[in-house]
This record gives sequence, C-alpha cells and structure tokens, in this order.
Amino acid sequence: MNKRWIHIILLLAVGLIAVIVIADYLSTRPGKRPPNPFAFDVSDYESVEESLISHRETRQIRITDTKAVHIASNENNIFLLTAGYLQTLTPRGEEINSISLGQAATSLFAFPDNSVIIAFENYLEYYSAEGNLLHRSDSAPDNALFTAVSTMENRIYVADAGNNQVVVYDLALKYLDTFKGESGVSTLHGFILPSRHFDMAVNADNELWIVNPGLHYIQNYAADGRFRRQWGKPSFTPEGFSGCCNPSYITFLHDGRFVTSEKGLVRIKIYKESGILESVVASPEAFKNGLKAPAIATLENDIVVALDFDRSMIRIFEPK
Amino acid sequence: MKKTHNRREFIRSCSRYSLGIALAGVTGYALKDATALQWVWQVDPFKCTYCGRCATHCVLNPSAVKCVHAYALCGYCDLCGGYLKPGHIDRDTAAENQLCPTAAIERKFIEEPYYEYRINEDLCIGCAKCVEGCSAFGNGSLHLQIRHNLCVNCNECAIARVCPSDAIKRVPAYDPYLVKGSFSDDTNT
Ligand code: SF4
Ligand code: SF4
Ligand code: SF4
Repeated sequence: MNKRWIHIILLLAVGLIAVIVIADYLSTRPGKRPPNPFAFDVSDYESVEESLISHRETRQIRITDTKAVHIASNENNIFLLTAGYLQTLTPRGEEINSISLGQAATSLFAFPDNSVIIAFENYLEYYSAEGNLLHRSDSAPDNALFTAVSTMENRIYVADAGNNQVVVYDLALKYLDTFKGESGVSTLHGFILPSRHFDMAVNADNELWIVNPGLHYIQNYAADGRFRRQWGKPSFTPEGFSGCCNPSYITFLHDGRFVTSEKGLVRIKIYKESGILESVVASPEAFKNGLKAPAIATLENDIVVALDFDRSMIRIFEPK
Repeated sequence: MKKTHNRREFIRSCSRYSLGIALAGVTGYALKDATALQWVWQVDPFKCTYCGRCATHCVLNPSAVKCVHAYALCGYCDLCGGYLKPGHIDRDTAAENQLCPTAAIERKFIEEPYYEYRINEDLCIGCAKCVEGCSAFGNGSLHLQIRHNLCVNCNECAIARVCPSDAIKRVPAYDPYLVKGSFSDDTNT
C-alpha cells in the first residue's frame, strides 16, 4: 500500500473519531446532562457568610458495613446506634464497647456513667455501661413510633411520632404519663409532625425542650407536660428553619446554647438560649448533594458531632 | 394510651383511597392498549432524581408523565417545600410564590395549620420541580408517574432512553403504577 492511501485511511479514521466524539457530546445520553430547565434551585441559600461560621471540620469517622441510625454523647464518649448494635466510641473513633441489640433501635440517650437508654419503635431498654440489660419497658400500644429519648429529674421522656405525643417513664421504665403538648389555650400548641422527625433534649438547667417541627418552634415544657414558652421561625435564611419538618434534631452545648440540625437545606447551627442565631457550625455547602438532616451530639469545648447519613460517617466540627 | 382518630387522619385515609380509585379508574382505560403487550412503562419514584427529562423527552407534548400525590405520606404543611418557591415572599397562592412553573398545584386550607395540595393534571407537565422540593424539605409525597390514560406505550420509552437514574422501567400491565406508599424502600429523608 503506498503512502498516499495510508494518509487517506488515517484522515478518514480521524474524521470518524471526530464525528463520534461530537455526536456523543451533542447527544443527551444519560451520562451527558444538559442543564435542567426545571431545576429546584436553593443555591442562593447554600453559602453562608464566612463570619457567621464558627466551626471547622477536623475529623471524619467512616461507618462501614452497617446502617447508622442515631448518635448521642456524654462528656467523654460518642454513642453510635447502628442497625442492631450500640457502639461506644472515644472522640477519636476508637471502639470501647459494642452491644448487640437484636432489634432495630431508633434513638438513644447516654448517661454520664456510660449507661444508655435505647428507644426501639415502641419500647425502651436500659443498659448498664458494661452492656447488661437492666430494664425493658412494656410495649406502647397502637401506632407508637419512638424517635427521641431524654431524661430529666429521674424521669424519662420519649417522643412518640406515631401518636404526636410525649410518653413519660420512670427510671425502671415503668409508664407514668403522656402529654400531647396542648396548652389548653390553642390547639396550635399540639405537636404538628409532618414526618417522623420529632426530637427533644434536656439542657444543663434541667429544662425539657421539644421540637414542634410543623410549626418550626422549639418548645419548653415543664416536667408535668405544661407548655411554658417557645421560639423559632420559618426561613430559608440562617436565622430560621426551612422546609416543613425542621429542625429535625436538637441538642445542647454544655452552657445551654441550642444546636440544631435541618434537612433539605442541610445545615447545623447554634442558637443562644434566647433563641437568637449565634453562628453556623456547618453550612449547606458542607453537605453538598445531601438531603438528610445529620443527627447531632456535642462534646466538651463546644465540639459538635454530626452523623452524616448521606455519607455514612461521623463528622467532628470544632470551634475555629 | 388510647388510639384516637383525628380529622387529619380521616382526611388522609379518604385521600389515600381517592388516589387509589382515581388511578385504578384510568388503569381500565389504559389496559385497552396494553393488555396485548403485557408490559407498560412506569417511573420508579424511589430512583427518580428529578432531572426534568420527563417533561422534555416524552413523545407527547405535554408529557404523559404527571405528578401524583401520595396523600397518606403528606404532612399537609402550611410551609410546603413542593408548593412554595424557596425564598417566597408570602405563604399564599400568589403566582410569584409558587414553585410549579405551570401553577398545576392547588392549595386548599383544611384546618389550622393544615393545607391540602392537589395536582391539576391538565396543567402538569411532569417537570419534577415540586417533586424535588417535596423530597428535599418534606416527606416526598409528591412523585412522578406515567399516566396510562395518556401514555401511548412506545416500544422504547423515549424518556427511559435518557433517564440518568434508570428510573423508568417496564411493569406488568395489570399493575401499572408504582405509587409511593403502596410499595416502599427505606429512604428516610
Ligand atoms: S427522566 Fe428519570 S430522573 Fe429524570 S425526572 Fe424522569 S424519572 Fe426522574
Ligand atoms: S412542578 Fe412540575 S411536576 Fe410538579 S405539578 Fe408543576 S408541572 Fe407538575
Ligand atoms: S412510553 Fe412514550 S408516551 Fe409513554 S411516557 Fe414514555 S415516551 Fe411518553
């Protein structure tokens, strides 16, 4: 074959490749996405002024081979609930203890001595620090769906998202009481739960704060279930809570400031005790492409621990 | 603890059955084209990633894909992520506050603080904008389905060819819908 023919064949081959590449580029096959003209755009709210961001991410602990469910902490340790297991971890992620739970749990509360109350769909179990089962409650009837557990003055408070109510037990897990959040003044004070997000926490001053997500309020209740006060407002800007089920999780720093976690526009924020926004721990940019609200816990020195369900990891945020 | 049925639960169960009956009604009509074929195309709502191609790539204009509402999953929220634009000025029905580009979602006050959302399928173009808003901020009760009273059951669905999430699949003609709530996965947003 003479050189001329080789050149023609090479030219044809190059031309063919160019046509294939251009056709592929112009095509709309699944890998090639033209911009979506109907995109749901919240980019205006994803970035937060740098001066408002108080924390930076310092550590990530990967969760492998299991589905994370919830997280809690006491002064020393992190307690990770996964499908069928409770793991006690050091803040560096080293495992101290692991308990097999038989059933899928939904939430937990850790005492300072490392004993733990674990909520299942409709009952509670109380484990010693060594992992021995101390008490188990009776199963709650009907549609119970326990989503959060906290303790105050020797009573255990459980958020029941299935029945829009809070159930109260004693430390031996005997049923004591139920309250639905009505103040008697307005039905608006009842718990409005668009989804299974229904969280609560008790601060260092022994105040019980319960999220009323449908109203975007965090509400304070007395030990007997009397409504006392509330704060919160809906907003896509950092001051308020976006969407219809937020804040999805709350917890406290040791001095009583609130830490909140939201879904949709995923962000973690700190509010003063008065309910005024203080700072943003992690902006939506830290959770790019995520939708699920991270469960949150705190360690000393204002460290915030986030359980990122979308990435299946524990993420530690420390003050800058 | 006594089981109670409040008005909202009643509304939910009525709505659930009305969605089922409505879809079942059009199924009969759809089957006139589909029984011989045995299979029809449908959107798996748990796989859909709201890319917008259901609106732009159906051979029909407007698309045979419509938003449907699983009322049993809905929170009946006042601040609905599927109805209101992010950054809306007021929480009302004014056009500038609505997320839907064709105003196909009707918002109706039920009782304080609950609102019901209904899809006007004549206006819906299946763009999935509301589906993304509802999935991100709410419970994901709004989702897309190919409506078999409209779909011509192409040999190869033009949307299935371009769907980036492999969310369009063939389902048996005798069970042609994948309505959320009647089948599930463990998605928990
Ligand atoms: S093409 Fe696929 S991902 Fe895109 S909107 Fe339709 S079903 Fe959803
Ligand atoms: S936003 Fe799109 S999918 Fe939703 S109702 Fe409107 S047209 Fe239909
Ligand atoms: S099968 Fe054809 S008519 Fe039906 S949704 Fe797909 S492209 Fe549209």
